[in-house]
Amino acid sequence: MPRKIQTRDSLTVYFLILILITVFALWFKSLEIESNRQQAGITILSLGIVLLAAYVFSRILKITKLPLITGYIFAGIIAGPYITGFLSVDDVERFRLVDDLALSFIAFTAGGALHLQSLKKKSRVILFNVALLTIVVFAIVYLFIISTGRYFDFINTLSSTNITVFAILLGVVSVARSPSSAIAIISECRASGPFTETILGVTVVMDILVIIFFTFAMTIGKIVINGSEAVYYTALTGLSLEILASILIGIVLGKGISIYIDKAGHDLPLFLLFLAFGVTRTSLWISDFTETHFNIFLHLEPLLICMSTGFTVQNFGSGGKVFMESLDRMALPIYVLFFSLAGASLNIESLIICWPLALSLVFVRAGSIFLATWTAGTISRDPSIHKNNAWMAYLTQAGVAIGLAQLAQRQFPEIGSYLTTVVLAVISINQVVGPITFKAALNIVKETGRD
Amino acid sequence: MKIFFSFLLIIFLAFSGYHLSFRNFRLPLFARKFYLTGTEFLFLGLLLGPQFLNILDDNTFRGLEPLSALLLGWIGLLFGFQFEISKLRRFPFEFFIAAILEGAMTFLFVFFGVILFYKSGLLNTNLSGPTILIVALTLSAAAACTAQTGVVLLASEKVAKHRQTVKILRYISSIDGLFAIVIFGVTIMLRPEIYSGSPLVNWLGWTTFISLSACAGLLMLYILFFTQRREESELTLVVIGMVMFTSGASSVLNMSPLFTNFFIGFCLVNLTREKEKIFNILVTIEKPVYLLLLVFLGRSWQLSSAWIIFLAAIYCIHRAAGKITGGFIITRLGPALKLQPSNLGFGLLEQGGLALAILFDYHQNFPGDITAQVVSLALLAIIYNEFLSPNFLNRLLKDD
Repeated sequence: MPRKIQTRDSLTVYFLILILITVFALWFKSLEIESNRQQAGITILSLGIVLLAAYVFSRILKITKLPLITGYIFAGIIAGPYITGFLSVDDVERFRLVDDLALSFIAFTAGGALHLQSLKKKSRVILFNVALLTIVVFAIVYLFIISTGRYFDFINTLSSTNITVFAILLGVVSVARSPSSAIAIISECRASGPFTETILGVTVVMDILVIIFFTFAMTIGKIVINGSEAVYYTALTGLSLEILASILIGIVLGKGISIYIDKAGHDLPLFLLFLAFGVTRTSLWISDFTETHFNIFLHLEPLLICMSTGFTVQNFGSGGKVFMESLDRMALPIYVLFFSLAGASLNIESLIICWPLALSLVFVRAGSIFLATWTAGTISRDPSIHKNNAWMAYLTQAGVAIGLAQLAQRQFPEIGSYLTTVVLAVISINQVVGPITFKAALNIVKETGRD
Repeated sequence: MKIFFSFLLIIFLAFSGYHLSFRNFRLPLFARKFYLTGTEFLFLGLLLGPQFLNILDDNTFRGLEPLSALLLGWIGLLFGFQFEISKLRRFPFEFFIAAILEGAMTFLFVFFGVILFYKSGLLNTNLSGPTILIVALTLSAAAACTAQTGVVLLASEKVAKHRQTVKILRYISSIDGLFAIVIFGVTIMLRPEIYSGSPLVNWLGWTTFISLSACAGLLMLYILFFTQRREESELTLVVIGMVMFTSGASSVLNMSPLFTNFFIGFCLVNLTREKEKIFNILVTIEKPVYLLLLVFLGRSWQLSSAWIIFLAAIYCIHRAAGKITGGFIITRLGPALKLQPSNLGFGLLEQGGLALAILFDYHQNFPGDITAQVVSLALLAIIYNEFLSPNFLNRLLKDD
């Protein structure tokens, strides 16, 4: 493990750095770009600026005890298209590759952080939490939209059928959370213990389950809108096969990594970085290839593959510790880039358009999460400090929810744009508030600074 | 199909990492050297390039330009970190002068050779004067650099027997690229393509002022970062961000990322407390960076004309003449150097690392047919040197 160094942060130095970076950013943005080489230069320069500025910003915010990822996200929001415009919407889109890579890398960590022994011990608690979070959050958000939908200007033009489908889909999207944020916070706080393990287990399991729930929701939505009673068995079978295939590929890769660690072990962080990149790109290519050539939409889930890989290395090989240490060495630059770009891609415009609905949904979702986790904690006889504060750890939301909303937009054009706008607005709030409450929860249960 | 590029890279990198980790890995000497210098990656690049599989086509390659700038920046920074004044002072100053002189001699030998060759009209190229000048400067800059691979691969008993000679060979091969990188950096900065049309003196003054201001600003920024002690992961982040920032800024300002990062590296290694840690971070991914550079250069390789094979041989001979003459002259310089064999230049024929980076930087800054030919020629010469240099090195040690 890298040696922990006592660092003394100087605000003056950080402010000076931020001023210098800002001066450079303004200067370079004012220059006329004439060649491809200069364009490429601007791309890499922007990434460099975002990386350094987000890091510095997070160090400044650290003084206020806020989580570092909140700093990265704020830096991204400031650099993004809606505040300073240093990064345009196109720039953010161009950096999607970094996102993909980072997500795969984070998924390796998520899988590797799950210990089979501990999961076995906690299976009952995790099961209760997953079941209740799914049912209660879905039901309350659904009922909230059905009963109050007509009072919000943003959606009161929708027909009652469309409101129903909107409520179903929004209910499922509300169940989704952000494993990447959870991992980042746990890693930053060096948290470990029963509370942390439960949160991580529940978050990872739900990340898989929410995709299945969403497919069900889409099927029901189709039935409601078209009046068709055809249940998409093919779609469900296909989905099960995709999940199974993703898990199996992950297991094979995990065994491969274990062998690599045993036999070679050279340059492991880089090897993992390339592997993460390879998994993401290959999954996309397979989807395209099977769709173009065989008219089959086989969507392998890179996140699931990487989680399964990490889980296999950690639990079915001897290299789990080395694997996690290697990931840890590369983690910081990846987290900073990923979360600052996530901040830059937060849709502030959506928030402005539908803030009353978004804000209400954030409160309703938080309340329903509290009800679910408190009930699960009571049934499992968790310590009261755990059951009273667990809800704070489940607020974060990110990529998965956006992905689901975009998928729904394609399937339900009538309500798609409404759904995406609301989801983006809700995520904008949850992604800022969630990490703060999660860190607070870890501090309250005293599981920080242990690892 | 493009996805296979990344897939193949993964396999190759994994393969390399796997093999290199085995201490008992034994191949015949030629194959081992070929493998350890990563020359196979040049061929991988050639295979992936437009001439064969076309997986790394022009569009894909253009999309990877940010990565190219990053690679060049990383190599430049690493090279700059070799110029720590306190460490250089451990050696006699005449060693330093000798290294620079040897590099400059080779540079001038090749430079005038190339100019004379083009002026002689043997090759009907219709190139303009400035283009010939840039080609000559690039080829001579690449020629001046010496790689350490041959010396590093020497058996330990040989190293023990020829300690003094090996020491000076290592020293010179780590320093003699200085002259080349400075000349090349200035060439990129003041190239005619970006000439604004204003009076030449004003333009030169303004360009120099902008470049120096940018470098000074960047340096100030990085020094501020390193005023505080940081954990390894934070330092890694800062170093990555720093290389991205410097490389991007260089590209936007029409400077060489290789040269700018070299300058930053040189300043940082002499000004910061964290130099050892930064160096370790840079070295961690030195090999993959180098291998990717080889792939990218291999992709630009054009074997369209058989003449290139002969031209590369002439270039190689010219370079060898420069190195051997340079080696001969420096062994007449001072008492410590007079103890060295007069054929010291035999041990300085290896060409790699920095020379490849210079060629790649040139390729990125001057796209065109002539660039592809120049790069192909220089790459062939590097491969010739891979064959020749071990024999010459052995001869030097035999005579020592």
